[in-house]
Amino acid sequence: MLPDWLEPPPEALAGLNASEEEAGAALACEAPGIRQFAALLSPRADALLETVAQRARDATARHFGKTIALYAPLYLSNLCGSGCAYCGFASDRRQARRTLGAAQIDAELDALAAKGFEEVLLLTGERTARAGFDYVLDAVARAAARFHLVTVESFAMTAEEYGALARAGCTGITLYQETYDPEVYAAVHRWGPKRDYRFRLETPARALAAGMRTAGLGVLLGLAEPRRDALRLFRHVEHLRRRYWQGGIAVSFPRIRPQRGGFTPPHPVDEKLLARIILAFRIAWPDLPLTLSTRERAEFRDGMAGLGISRMSIESRTTVGGYRGGAEESGGQFEVCDQRDLRGFCAALEAKGLQPVFKNWDAVYR
Amino acid sequence: MTAPFTLGGHEFASRLMLGTGKFSAAAVMLNAVKASGAQLVTVALRRINRERRDDDILGPLAELPGITLVPNTSGAMNAKEAFKAALLGRELSRSPFVKLEIHPNPHHLLPDPIETYEAARLLVKEGFIVLPYMQADPVLAKRLADIGCAAVMPLGAAIGSGRGLATLEMLKYILRESTVPVIVDAGLRAPSEAAAALELGCDAVLVNSAIAAAGDPVAMARAFASAVRAGREAREAGLMAARDAAAPTSPLTSFLQS
Repeated sequence: MLPDWLEPPPEALAGLNASEEEAGAALACEAPGIRQFAALLSPRADALLETVAQRARDATARHFGKTIALYAPLYLSNLCGSGCAYCGFASDRRQARRTLGAAQIDAELDALAAKGFEEVLLLTGERTARAGFDYVLDAVARAAARFHLVTVESFAMTAEEYGALARAGCTGITLYQETYDPEVYAAVHRWGPKRDYRFRLETPARALAAGMRTAGLGVLLGLAEPRRDALRLFRHVEHLRRRYWQGGIAVSFPRIRPQRGGFTPPHPVDEKLLARIILAFRIAWPDLPLTLSTRERAEFRDGMAGLGISRMSIESRTTVGGYRGGAEESGGQFEVCDQRDLRGFCAALEAKGLQPVFKNWDAVYR
Repeated sequence: MTAPFTLGGHEFASRLMLGTGKFSAAAVMLNAVKASGAQLVTVALRRINRERRDDDILGPLAELPGITLVPNTSGAMNAKEAFKAALLGRELSRSPFVKLEIHPNPHHLLPDPIETYEAARLLVKEGFIVLPYMQADPVLAKRLADIGCAAVMPLGAAIGSGRGLATLEMLKYILRESTVPVIVDAGLRAPSEAAAALELGCDAVLVNSAIAAAGDPVAMARAFASAVRAGREAREAGLMAARDAAAPTSPLTSFLQS
């Protein structure tokens, strides 16, 4: 049984099949709700895509200015106790396992800081003995000594653990539900603690209640029917915004790309649908930070920057120890599609009239 | 030449203050500041980058002649954080001014009256010239002036919303009773709204998004400068009284014996 707050109302589900006229009305709505959001996801809304994009671009400029916040992910460990069918780090994948030691973490952090990044996202797999809570806590403290903004994308933790991370200098977490469809969720999360759908669902709320300032949500597009997942993601955002009025909620749009183990997404999402989902989120939530990673190709990222997207990663290495380890880039969690370096990416943003912003936070607010 | 505008004992010719976030490039921001003629320029502490010069907005601004920097505490959720941020801002900018901004909701960025009041009290004691961003609340405006704020900065509408003087009726109450300068901060979209604020009697306006997100930010900065000047000139010239109906040529009360 899913909680009531997660279920979209029937009229929103009906909105997914809205006519072009209804989609047009949704686009003209001053304060779009979930019904209008759904109508913008209707296949008939395709005809309006250009107008939708204009509204999304204007809303993004009003709230975020002509800027893109930049961050760098740092994979600390690819040890994992979970069996996520879609992930290159799942515990049954043949994969060289690495966990950075303290000195290596410092070196990687220094390498990122030297490039100019001010925001770092620390990543691990599901909790293991070697890369458990104390390990993440130590890494946060190391990162907080060097970066103004430190966030974590790791296993779902307890409230006490989130409180300790926040006190160590972690400002926020990213934690995707992956899919809100309980059946698909059960099927793809084959073993490990991540099988507990409800515990994961409640995790962003637990983190915010424990003192995290921001929580990033998302679905792994391709796992389940994407537009229904988008509706529940909308509901999750709405729920957290109501309950944690001081919490910063953000949304990312990861899309399944090829990985080791040959996982084929049962509901492939093409670029047009991905764009439509991003634009609909921007129109419905004008002030929500929306993130796009290097999973997507350069041209798509450049196109979406400022068109809804307000925060992006670049020069990502999805391998453990990738920043100091030379050029080899295989065996990562996912394939990095936008392989440009920081300088090249910034030049592309500037050519679009967008200012790359490295520092948008200060350690004084910890 | 309109009357100068005094803030915390400092005199300024320009009544247009500029915010420096949201610009497409640092060069655009600097050119907009120059074109606006603004002398008071706010800088978010969270955007001051001491490590990376090409990402820093404080350094290039500090080199512009005739500019007084006003660090702001945007990002602070409560009085304690704002206090720490103000101290750090003063250290970095060497400015006695602080724009006190406390918005615990990171989405709509509306100001927290309780935390703002508390922080203002602490910062005034610490010797700052405190400019608090606030709701257009006439009672809060008096309370903030009473504890020593150098001005009040009521919002016209939410930051970045471009809804203009949505709080007009409350601004009138604030203006009627204020003993400190009233600076409309946030929400303006068009130069005409800035002119309207000055005509109404506001001492200055602060603009950021309307310039940064304009098609041509430098030209828009110039337009705001003209509008602010026009609005102030009109205020000083004395606007004629507005009437709902024409003045009767044959007075209705001529029958009254004196």
